Amino acid sequence: MTLKSSPLSFTVNGKPVGPIDVPDDMMLLDVLHEYLGLTGSRMACGQGICHACAVILDGPGGPREIRSCITGAHFFANKSIRTVEGHAERDAQGNVVRLSPVQQAFIEHFSFQCGYCTPGFVTAATVLVERLKTAPVARRDLEAAIDKAMGQHICRCTGYVRYFEAVRDLVLATPGLVKG
Amino acid sequence: MSPRLRRFALATAVVVGIAAAGALAVMAGLFERSVVEASADAPLTPQQMKGLVERGRYLARAADCAACHTAPGGAPLAGGLAFPMPFGTLYATNITPDAETGIGRWTRAQFQRALRDGVAPRGHLYPAMPYVSYRQLTANDTDAIYAYVMSRPPIRQENRANSFPFDYVRPTLAFWNLLNLPARGFVPDTTRPNDWNRGKYLVDALGHCGECHTPRDLTLGMIAQRYLQGTRIENVDAPDVTPTGLLRMGFDAAALARYLPAGTGPQGVMNFSMYDVVHNSTRWLTKDDAAAMATYLTALQPMVSASLAAAPASTLPPAGRQTYLQLCSACHGVDGEGIAHVAPPMRTNASLRVSSPRNLLVVIADGLPERALPDGERYQAMPAFGHVLDDQQIADLATWLRGNWGGTSAAVRQVEVQAVRPKFP
Repeated sequence: MTLKSSPLSFTVNGKPVGPIDVPDDMMLLDVLHEYLGLTGSRMACGQGICHACAVILDGPGGPREIRSCITGAHFFANKSIRTVEGHAERDAQGNVVRLSPVQQAFIEHFSFQCGYCTPGFVTAATVLVERLKTAPVARRDLEAAIDKAMGQHICRCTGYVRYFEAVRDLVLATPGLVKG
Repeated sequence: MSPRLRRFALATAVVVGIAAAGALAVMAGLFERSVVEASADAPLTPQQMKGLVERGRYLARAADCAACHTAPGGAPLAGGLAFPMPFGTLYATNITPDAETGIGRWTRAQFQRALRDGVAPRGHLYPAMPYVSYRQLTANDTDAIYAYVMSRPPIRQENRANSFPFDYVRPTLAFWNLLNLPARGFVPDTTRPNDWNRGKYLVDALGHCGECHTPRDLTLGMIAQRYLQGTRIENVDAPDVTPTGLLRMGFDAAALARYLPAGTGPQGVMNFSMYDVVHNSTRWLTKDDAAAMATYLTALQPMVSASLAAAPASTLPPAGRQTYLQLCSACHGVDGEGIAHVAPPMRTNASLRVSSPRNLLVVIADGLPERALPDGERYQAMPAFGHVLDDQQIADLATWLRGNWGGTSAAVRQVEVQAVRPKFP
């Protein structure tokens, strides 16, 4: 198949990007790394298994996680995404002034060691927390909801329990995410 | 009553009487022809039984008894698998040798009659049991399966009662058998070589392939004229596996002989019900038997062409190609080459080459679980795209795939997509 490039415009972390010329078969992760200098989303398996590359797609159905290593960049034309670089509060110079609650919880719980999988876990946990704001779950269903939201993410330092506890504690400490 | 009226009443009574007697005679089995020889009445000696067990194990796998008689997560051969039918639910029975709840008390002749005549000690079997196919089993092979089944650990598990409103329709199955049960068992074709006959026996008698791949008529009997031409099973198509259908999918005898036990090849991966068939049955076939099945099924036709001509790109929807590049190409390859042990190739995939796009559409909409196949081969789970793509996007993708690699230029229509995904209204 002969491939060409096409102009791509989309929104990344609240800022409009493009139009930039992107090859038709290029995956989003490569565009983030090579064109936009956003290297926080990780390439690991490259085939959609590990979820280290996951970013947030903000659409009409609310935020959802999507794997950037197996989804073509042009799928995101005129759509809006958030990468791990877009979660913390920043000052006018772009310096981080405050981490997001999810990021802060992961640090307080010593959730990660090498940190390679962490951007994907931040993505999944953020989507979960935001979804619980609009659709809270019963307390007894919380563990299952966390498992469903994060269970596909792979961490080879085996930080699962600490990731899990961080998200559970954050959800329980945030008003309105759990009913009953 | 006038004499004329009396004569009429008498004649009517005689006709009705004869019809009733005829019906009773049918239900009593007077017209049923058993293919079981009288010699089966003599029990096998314990030594004979012991000697048959290993061959029986092989044959029970080739006949895929476990497909129905072992429920998922259940004890082997203890039954319990549900068959939801429009008129109620049938449950597969316990065929372990437990005397109370299984078939431990069955004699050699009773086992033969059940498999080859469809009549168990307690009455007619429902044709969900493929006795129309097993009728072609040889007496020796049936004995071997009997010996194997009787050597299994007895499992005490009561059969679940079928939820049919009228379980007393059982005797009427004698009528069904008159229509649909062949009079004779397997008759080798002496004009054909031995491996062809062995293949036919494996396909028709043991493998009972026609039970899913041959369309059924209104009585639910297999239509002989449409033997193995493919039909709908639940939500998907059991494809046409006549020589023409197999060639269209990209199988010659050698390729099919490899595909049956491996469950995968350039043509893709055995999915849906056939995934279980690989694990329960075809992976255990000897090389010779797999080759014989392939020889018979392909009728030794040479492959006309290894690859199909692509439809002209100008006739294919550009949106389909875009969707492929955006959502499929990372795993299935920009050129449809796939990734070994991750995702099968598209450019040689049988699902794109069959006449109906249904199975392709089901997979695009619902995705597939990860697959573990013989010899350590595996494939990754495929995500579902039913909630990502709308009907027209899926139709365009399927049209482009089938046109580009499947040699099919007919456009897939939105209604065909809607038909396979009631789950995503």
